[in-house]
Amino acid sequence: MANAELKLAPTAPVSFEQEYAIGKFLSMEARLLDEERYPDWLELLTEDIRYQIPVAISTYRRARQGSTTLKPLFIIDDGFPGLKQRADREATGLVWLNDPATRHLRIITNIEVETTDTPNEFLVRSKFMIFRGRRDKDIASHAGWREDILRQTPQGWRIARRVVHLIERVVMDKNLNMFF
Amino acid sequence: MKKFNYQELVDSEQALQKRSIFWDPAIYEEELKQIFNRCWLFLGHESQLPQPGDFIRTYMGEDDVIVVRGKDKVIRAFLNACTHRGNKVCQAEGGNTRSFTCSYHGWSFNTEGELAGVPLEKEIYDNLPRERFGLVPVARLDSYKGLLFGCFSESAPSLIDYLGDIAWYIDVVTDSAQGGLEVVGAPYKTEIPGNWKLPVENAIGDGYHVAWAHAGAMSVVGAIGNGRSDNVLGINANNTGVDQSGAIEIVMNTHTVLTTLDGQSGYALYDHPEPVLAHLERNRPNVIEKLGELRGRQLYGSETHIGVFPNVQIIQGLNFIRIIHPKGPGKFEVWTYAMCERGMPDATKEIIHDHVRQTFGPAGLLEGDDGDFVEAITHSAAGYATRQMQGFLGMGMGRKAPWDGPGEASPGLVNEACQRGFYNQWRRTMEADNAYGVIGQTAPVTPVTAVLKEFRHG
Repeated sequence: MANAELKLAPTAPVSFEQEYAIGKFLSMEARLLDEERYPDWLELLTEDIRYQIPVAISTYRRARQGSTTLKPLFIIDDGFPGLKQRADREATGLVWLNDPATRHLRIITNIEVETTDTPNEFLVRSKFMIFRGRRDKDIASHAGWREDILRQTPQGWRIARRVVHLIERVVMDKNLNMFF
Repeated sequence: MKKFNYQELVDSEQALQKRSIFWDPAIYEEELKQIFNRCWLFLGHESQLPQPGDFIRTYMGEDDVIVVRGKDKVIRAFLNACTHRGNKVCQAEGGNTRSFTCSYHGWSFNTEGELAGVPLEKEIYDNLPRERFGLVPVARLDSYKGLLFGCFSESAPSLIDYLGDIAWYIDVVTDSAQGGLEVVGAPYKTEIPGNWKLPVENAIGDGYHVAWAHAGAMSVVGAIGNGRSDNVLGINANNTGVDQSGAIEIVMNTHTVLTTLDGQSGYALYDHPEPVLAHLERNRPNVIEKLGELRGRQLYGSETHIGVFPNVQIIQGLNFIRIIHPKGPGKFEVWTYAMCERGMPDATKEIIHDHVRQTFGPAGLLEGDDGDFVEAITHSAAGYATRQMQGFLGMGMGRKAPWDGPGEASPGLVNEACQRGFYNQWRRTMEADNAYGVIGQTAPVTPVTAVLKEFRHG
């Protein structure tokens, strides 16, 4: 469904430089989040960003689309203001769960870059694992893949769209108050 | 002879609850039998099953249950267990189907639960009595204005008797809805490492934690975050004062309600409530006509938490239905469904869905705070000494508020009346000799055969 909105051109070549730069950008982005530098992270988003996490609803492969029980459901479906609100909450110092400090670790891998029919925008697919460690042994982890649209701007790379696909249906964590 | 000393577990006079009730596996096993095998349990809403063949899966206690609309349009519920060897016959959470087929040997059941297909039947069986091997139906299934409930007890009181006075409050949600109530799609599902009772009583009654536990979220969302107001639900932004006027907690026989009584504050946590508030006022005259002044003006649009014992909360304002499924003494799944009025403009429905996701979805700004203390309360009871401690829910005890609706009202939402009501009901249900005892009634004289059946099924 997210794909339908992405205007894909037949795969045009992406330069090594661009692919390399995108990989470095995603690593840097992950590190900013690991370091809880949320205002800095917000700088990497475009004003028109759409950020979604659809729920992986467990239906049969043969399930007929359109039945009311199968409508898409999102865990996050935010524009910039919604993401800023989430970041602001983290920064209040009033989220007791994060004190003692939560330790974050993100691994971003399997990065694939494709051109789109917008010259300065690229479709970037990646896989991730994200770990959170709290207190003594409160460890949670999530794995999935992302489909991003990254935009090349005079200020550098910016995230214009992100769809996060988790492999879990029932969320196996006390919350998903984190950015993927 | 009761299995446990319930006076010690829940001391109603002193509002004390022994912490072992959150941890002891033997108590949990007894809960599955006394509570989840006897009470009417919420299954879903008819709007989730509009067409023949539509089905959803849910749980009744830890029992996996399929709810399906048959070819004859009748909604039925069955245990999701093959009658041959017990494998699940359905692994999808919902959809539309003609049959449920077991993945072990391929026995197949139609949407009316009948055994419809047995691979190699003629070669391997001599006259298999198919009629004996239909899916096991949930003993009772009934709908209250579209809200579907199931019950494993043949001899339980009717759904309407079980609901009792709370139906008067449920009507505010069901009867006010233009075009009927609508529950769309699949629920959010999160597994939390805590005891199932804690999120239930938190949602139905704990106004005290809102400003403190959710302090981070409260300072960025809704009325306070947007500078519209310096308080939410009577509690000011810094948790330094509380206005207890207006709002009440109501304890009925079996169930509970808390409500702000102001007709609009259910939307206080919304960032942009204006279209919802406009809809409320457009619809309010209809609601007053249908339900009268008291419900039309004071309940419709208020933040109202309707707690149906044991594990479902219908929450007007925040606008979701939430079920807590127990998964052992130290784990539960919370399922959250957004609910709207079918006749609302699509843009207004969208605002409600956005808001449910933003506040109480798995990444909800408020939801994320509750799992933590629920886990700690549960798991600290692993300690033998800690387990001997008692929780105290004495706030507002003895305080009465005037109220013309059903139930006993107590003033303010920073109050523990509903939580006391929940644990008192828990105790009564655990001590009950039969399903009528759950609602504090004496069972009518039943034929011996029914008694024997109840006895055999425990």
